[in-house]
Amino acid sequence: MEILLIGVLLLAGLAFGTLGSHYFGVPRVVGYILIGMLFSPDLLGDYLGLDAARWTQPLVAIALGIVAYLIGGAATVGQLRRLGVSIITATVGKVAGAFLLVFAGFVWMGVSVPDLPGWGVPLVLAALATITAPAAIVAIIHQYRARGPLTTALLGMVAMDDALGVVIFSVALALLAADGLVSALPLVVWEIVAALVIGGIGGWLIERISRLLHEHELRLVALIGAIVLLVGLAEAWHFSGLLAAMTLGFTARWFGGVHAERLFEPVEQLEEMVFVLFFTFAGLYFDLSVAVEHGWLILLFFVLRAAGQVIGSWIGARLGGAPPAIANNVGLGMLPQGGVAVGMALMLEGQPRFAEVATLAINIITASTLLTESIGALAARFGLRRAGELNAANGGHDGGHDDEGK
Amino acid sequence: MKASNWLETHPARAVTVAPDASLPEAAALFLEHPEVRDIYVVDEKGRVCGHLGFRRLAGLLLAHLRPTHSRRQLVERVTAGAVREHMDEHVLCMRPDERISEVFHHHMERRVEDIPVVDADRRLLGVIRVADLLRKAIEPAG
Repeated sequence: MEILLIGVLLLAGLAFGTLGSHYFGVPRVVGYILIGMLFSPDLLGDYLGLDAARWTQPLVAIALGIVAYLIGGAATVGQLRRLGVSIITATVGKVAGAFLLVFAGFVWMGVSVPDLPGWGVPLVLAALATITAPAAIVAIIHQYRARGPLTTALLGMVAMDDALGVVIFSVALALLAADGLVSALPLVVWEIVAALVIGGIGGWLIERISRLLHEHELRLVALIGAIVLLVGLAEAWHFSGLLAAMTLGFTARWFGGVHAERLFEPVEQLEEMVFVLFFTFAGLYFDLSVAVEHGWLILLFFVLRAAGQVIGSWIGARLGGAPPAIANNVGLGMLPQGGVAVGMALMLEGQPRFAEVATLAINIITASTLLTESIGALAARFGLRRAGELNAANGGHDGGHDDEGK
Repeated sequence: MKASNWLETHPARAVTVAPDASLPEAAALFLEHPEVRDIYVVDEKGRVCGHLGFRRLAGLLLAHLRPTHSRRQLVERVTAGAVREHMDEHVLCMRPDERISEVFHHHMERRVEDIPVVDADRRLLGVIRVADLLRKAIEPAG
């Protein structure tokens, strides 16, 4: 039954997502989530006897490993240097701002669940708040033919900030698993250091092996095999699989150089499928009563995250010497939140101790994804217009050389 | 047939570029030689140190026309550097005494259209165009 359902979720999610996008102009993720909701316990799930928590976890862990690998391989060290100081500082500021404001806000509101310390829920939500969805932002930039320094900053930031989010989320999970800041230290060190070392060795190995595999199909098998193996090792040896997979991507890219398509292109083709799984699974777990009961938390999360990243990216951009046109608008362009955050929230379901925080996080992130995908698009357009970069690519040489990177 | 024999009967000059050249400069070379689909990056001593294909270069310079990007492509789009930053350092070259039939399939798997022929110091002697091989293959016998 579960295999049948996965097939239904993929195909019906794809159909709903693309039809909704084509006919109603809504983001595809809305269709994905709605299809998942159809099979949630409140609707068809109970009737069909589906227990999503039992069988979705291995898929979520592997899928998240795939995305983490791609996040890690987004840039080389040389490219990071060329990104420029202001983009790096704005990214750090954006991530820090979203994290701190969400954490402080939820601690202040005293939001907690049994089985976890008082800072548990705020820490998980704050870590999830740092994630951004590049696809929605790229779509807006493409749709409005935006071009200029703000566009460049936005593209650079959305490609990079999830890497910081993965690190923060991995540390947050390690802290929660250890149940106490002092006792957490050795566990956190093991979770992080083992992930970095094993992921690093794996990255070197997979880069060497891929040189021997000239066929695209064989490389895909090797890459997915390496990611699954690493995620499995992480589960067995209790280190962060997410961080290990990201390190795998980073080191594979490092040793493979800039021209490393062979290591990433085959896996990149799986990303949309991963997001269809994440969003439909999120729909499966979506509980309308939880969302209604905690509606104010969803709103609070949305407002705090938005305010945190607008303020944080402004401070970071100004510290990095960015002009006001970038500093004042870049945070507005980074509101969309999507698949990676949803996947991370789903991952929490894997541990019984996190069950309550997982339900809360999945419902908040799913609802806030719907909000950010719509309001976020408007905010990004507003920011780009204010910076005078909307339709800038039509300035007499559309189709010509894009000089964003200059 | 050996590569050296082929080059004698089908001479084709390889187009080269310096590692520090900009991407638009590389694009200008492609446009100057419409038959060329691969250019070779050579160091100051004339040795092949990289390769840049037409599709890859076009993909980089026309990235803003693409509606979706992977994270890797996003970073590439905003950090465009010199040719050396984007070239493939693992160039598969032929030696003059190698037979085309023995190495041709390796080149096809790597999706390159021209096969560079180099001497022992990796200096370019010429290039075997796949289009010429194809032309020869469909020529009527005799």
